[in-house]
Amino acid sequence: MAANAQGVAEAPFVWHPSNTAEAWQLKQTFGAEGVFTAGGTLLRTQWESGLAAMPTHLINVGAIEELHRLGMDGESQTGHIGTMITLSEIRTSPLIHKNFPLLTEAARNIAAPSIRNLATIGGNVLSMVGDSIPALLLYDPVLHWHDGSNGLEEPLSEWLSTAAVHAAWKERLLIAVELAKPTLDTNTKRFVAYHKVGRRDAFTPSVITAAISLQLDPDHRLSDVRIALGGGQTIPSRLEAVEAFLTGKPADKKAITQVYGMILESFEPKGDAFVPVSYRKKAAANLIASELWKASR
Amino acid sequence: MKDSINPLSPLDTRAIPCTINGNDVSLHVPPAKRLLHVLRDDLAMTGTKRSCDIGRCGACMVMVDGAAVNSCLTMAYQCSGKSITTIEGVSAGGMDPIQRAFLEEGGFQCGYCTPGMIISVKALLDHNADPSPLEIEEALSGNICRCTGYGGIKRAVQRAIEWRKEGYESGND
Repeated sequence: MAANAQGVAEAPFVWHPSNTAEAWQLKQTFGAEGVFTAGGTLLRTQWESGLAAMPTHLINVGAIEELHRLGMDGESQTGHIGTMITLSEIRTSPLIHKNFPLLTEAARNIAAPSIRNLATIGGNVLSMVGDSIPALLLYDPVLHWHDGSNGLEEPLSEWLSTAAVHAAWKERLLIAVELAKPTLDTNTKRFVAYHKVGRRDAFTPSVITAAISLQLDPDHRLSDVRIALGGGQTIPSRLEAVEAFLTGKPADKKAITQVYGMILESFEPKGDAFVPVSYRKKAAANLIASELWKASR
Repeated sequence: MKDSINPLSPLDTRAIPCTINGNDVSLHVPPAKRLLHVLRDDLAMTGTKRSCDIGRCGACMVMVDGAAVNSCLTMAYQCSGKSITTIEGVSAGGMDPIQRAFLEEGGFQCGYCTPGMIISVKALLDHNADPSPLEIEEALSGNICRCTGYGGIKRAVQRAIEWRKEGYESGND
């Protein structure tokens, strides 16, 4: 049971804007006293643990139709995932599974179905450490925001690199995440994998979350290598140096050994009292090395 | 912007309309009040259990529009227009085959987690009459039992699947 046995005060005003402009205007009106809310699962745990105070105003964005859109543009091969799409919808969507299979697998590994029925992709992304993020990062994700003017587009990786220190994004409303479906070069096959390593694989903050996608030609040479790591309180990121190193090489013992060393050297996870940094580094290096070995077989 | 101009206020609560176990109700509660407390404290429906308060244990599981959700994470305003089923609703027409299966297969000891388990199994089987062992495990991954062990629970789910296939009806007890 949470420490505050009677629970936090449950007395905010709850606003129900019907479009993004209204929601944004409410946020401007209330400032820090107003918080956008979707599924509310993460907010509730933050209120209960004392990490955040329950605000005076909740701005429920659930009634904004635009935020519930899930679709694929056949011409540009881009997917559009509205911020209110639940993790359960992602888990079961044939469209997501067909075009962005790592995201399906990520959703399967986040919390439990009952939480996924409430929790949204928007909330998972805006947590900055959600386990959907390593999978999303492999699909060149772009965040679409409503900022009161013409809208703002921003690569997810860019936002992640500054979100923890610059809070300006909290004034904006996330509308959607746009993903690009990877193309497959002729005469190659694609290999993808997603792993979440934790004490209870579907339910606790992970030790390491890893996503990998690559192409192999008939000579087993690698191309279009994409690797992302996160887990726990680590803000996920792509391993661009490792990706560049592997491109054009066969995934042989020599290359895998070097990648193992590169990850130990360059990956900077956040440790905690239960799982130190050194363990997380080793787990990440082992995971990526083993997937490269599997891909090469 | 009609709803925005007149928000659901914690002070002057407007009714939140919803259905609980098939009955139309109007909840006169603060909009951010947890569904768990609405059920247990305001409606005296104590079959839904309170434990972790953060969506980890599954003791407070209910169905909202047929999907399992943690009532400790669900706020009252999120129930507006929704159909809520609690453990009391599952057995309203007599013992559900899922409940019977838990009894016969020893799927509980202290029983505190059992209402949540039953709800999760019902949400699963209502959508997927013949789930695989992996699908059962995933569906129950948000329900923690700390005394039975999961063997009896898994047997109970399998038995419930068989009974439902055979057309076992509620109230056969």
